[in-house]
Amino acid sequence: MNVMRQTDDTTATAEIKIAAKGVQVYYGDNHAIKDVDVDIADRTVTAFIGPSGCGKSTFLRCLNRMNDTIDICRVEGKITLDGEDIYDKRVDPVQLRAKVGMVFQKPNPFPKSIYDNVAYGPRIHGLARSKAELDEIVEKSLRRAALWGEVKDRLNAPGTGLSGGQQQRLCIARAVATSPEVLLMDEPCSALDPIATAQVEELIDELRSRFAVVIVTHSMQQAARVSRKTAFFHLGNLVEFGETGQIFTNPRDPRTESYITGRIG
Amino acid sequence: MTNAAVHSTPRSGSLFSQDQRTRRRNTAERRFRIYGQAAIGIAMMALVILLASVLGNGLSAFRQTFINMPVTLDADVLDKKGNRDADDLKKVTTIGYSKLLLNSLTQLIEDQGLAIEGLAASDIKDMISDDAAAQVRNRVLANPELIGQTVSLKVLANGRIDGYLKGRVSMESAERDSNVSVNQLRLTDEMMERGLIGKSFNWSFITAADASELRPEAAGLGVAILGSAYMMIVVLVLALPIGVAASIYLEEFAPKNRWTDLIEVNISNLAAVPSIVFGILGLAIFINFAGLPQSAPIVGGLVLTLMTLPTIIISTRAAIKAVPPSIRDAALGIGASKMQTVFHHVLPLAAPGILTGTIIGLAQALGETAPLLLIGMVAFVRDFPAAPPEGLFDPAAALPVQVYNWTQRADPAFVERASGAIIVLLIFLLAMNAVAILLRRKFERRW
Ligand SMILES: Nc1ncnc2c1ncn2[C@@H]1O[C@H](COP(=O)(O)OP(=O)(O)O)[C@@H](O)[C@H]1O
Ligand SMILES: [Mg+2]
Repeated sequence: MNVMRQTDDTTATAEIKIAAKGVQVYYGDNHAIKDVDVDIADRTVTAFIGPSGCGKSTFLRCLNRMNDTIDICRVEGKITLDGEDIYDKRVDPVQLRAKVGMVFQKPNPFPKSIYDNVAYGPRIHGLARSKAELDEIVEKSLRRAALWGEVKDRLNAPGTGLSGGQQQRLCIARAVATSPEVLLMDEPCSALDPIATAQVEELIDELRSRFAVVIVTHSMQQAARVSRKTAFFHLGNLVEFGETGQIFTNPRDPRTESYITGRIG
Repeated sequence: MTNAAVHSTPRSGSLFSQDQRTRRRNTAERRFRIYGQAAIGIAMMALVILLASVLGNGLSAFRQTFINMPVTLDADVLDKKGNRDADDLKKVTTIGYSKLLLNSLTQLIEDQGLAIEGLAASDIKDMISDDAAAQVRNRVLANPELIGQTVSLKVLANGRIDGYLKGRVSMESAERDSNVSVNQLRLTDEMMERGLIGKSFNWSFITAADASELRPEAAGLGVAILGSAYMMIVVLVLALPIGVAASIYLEEFAPKNRWTDLIEVNISNLAAVPSIVFGILGLAIFINFAGLPQSAPIVGGLVLTLMTLPTIIISTRAAIKAVPPSIRDAALGIGASKMQTVFHHVLPLAAPGILTGTIIGLAQALGETAPLLLIGMVAFVRDFPAAPPEGLFDPAAALPVQVYNWTQRADPAFVERASGAIIVLLIFLLAMNAVAILLRRKFERRW
């Protein structure tokens, strides 16, 4: 823990968006996340890395309370968004998820048109007062997801008819359309080919200017390329958290080093 | 070195000859294919035999024997006061009309010079169905200006004469039959030669009400079709929303605990409960306790709803389960509520499965007989129920019960009618399945 405090100092410039303190997650008797403290900075890309099954997705899903949908899942500890406890009784997770958007591992567009995919969020949250405004939001979101040029002539075509990379960017556009403050991405490139991956990574780099982005990845190169801060998870513990450069070049924990050099995972 | 030696001398023989294990596996597979083909063959054969027997027996029910004759609608008999007043016209009973028909037929036989030795007046009268007088009377009441005219009518012939034309009655059987005489059959032969009697399409088999044991020629399915249609409406209106709502709740909202497990098991059990048990339940609850009328489509519909609910719930839950969880995650992830997720995304994707299940449930309900017997749908009903919603409380029959009913009757003419009713029932079932397929096509979406 002390180690983490030290690394924090170097990035004190960015404002803290999400602060997690002493988070424990249980799936029934399985203690999946053990006492994790992480601060997610605003307008920064934070990467979660670690061997498969170490709890990266679980922890990510705590940040927008998607774990609420799993009956056996229990979350303890405190997670705040802009200083407000998101697990407070008064918080409606639906409202939280509009602020903390999520992109999933497998591209999962709705079986609807490209337009409706992006417009769905703004519609249910009443973000557009007119058709023209909605059109504008859709265009802006698709541009932001670097997809506009490819789909502007076929907005009424089904979203499921796009290629895998395009589908994932559509999902990003869909998440961006609700104007979230934080964007959570769970291995967004694991189902994509290298070219689509490069496109999405470029996109993440642009999104950073507006949102706090948290990305789970099993690819250390990807973490190195896109993130400023990296958290290394192992068996439900947060082993090390700090500047990406420092984690990759000069890890403080032997477990991190083993993972990076390919000895665990 | 040792490795190279292993590679140069293959343990098994050449690839071109099958070893024993492969041969055995292939034989097993061939045997399995033969079993499958045999099973399908048996099923197809059963279907063909069933259809052949039903069609062979039943198609003739759609054609009925009529006597083509001029009928003099004598104003002196039908409208003694000569004022064409509707109430006065109604005072003339079918007996009056029956006399008119007899006179007209006797006249026709004389005019045509059809001399049959020993033909009695009662023989001539019995050529005509007892129901014909009522049919002519209805026609006159609906259309009083016919009175005084001589109109050419197709008059319904007696069931035995119909049977003679269809090969059910022969000269030999007529000798032993008190309901038909050999002379009548001779007369029929003569009339057939002159085109005075013949078979034509029988709309009233589909539209008319049931008739008594003595008048098979007049019996129709109208009340039964209406009753079945009313029950299907009740089932659809009740079972679809209740079943879908229950499934959504159980699948998406209910906590998974011992209680919901228990409910789940019991729904599966309910689907397997013999239908007659639902009939007893319906009798006890809807008729004895709630005081609803007997033989009413509303009660039949309620009982069938109880029966259909498990089918709809099970298929709806399966359809909801089949929607990929990633779609739910996607919707929840951008801040849709549970309800929005279900109604905007899950239900549309589950719709084809739900519709198929519903229609299969309805088709089962349409063919269900046993529970309806217990709630009095087996009664003899001659009056058409009113239009819904009041009509739901009027007595009515149901198609499968009508089939059962007709097979119970002594007159062999009802055998053909029972098979004809089965054909009608099968047509409805086929139509429903076709609708299910069409809806499925229309709503099916890929993801
Ligand atoms: N829905 C779930 N139900 C029960 N256990 C789960 C569930 N999801 C994850 N787990 C368990 O939690 C642990 C962490 O899983 P996860 O967060 O998916 O790991 P990662 O994303 O790092 O590969 C694993 O041991 C996994 O078995
Ligand atoms: Mg994961």
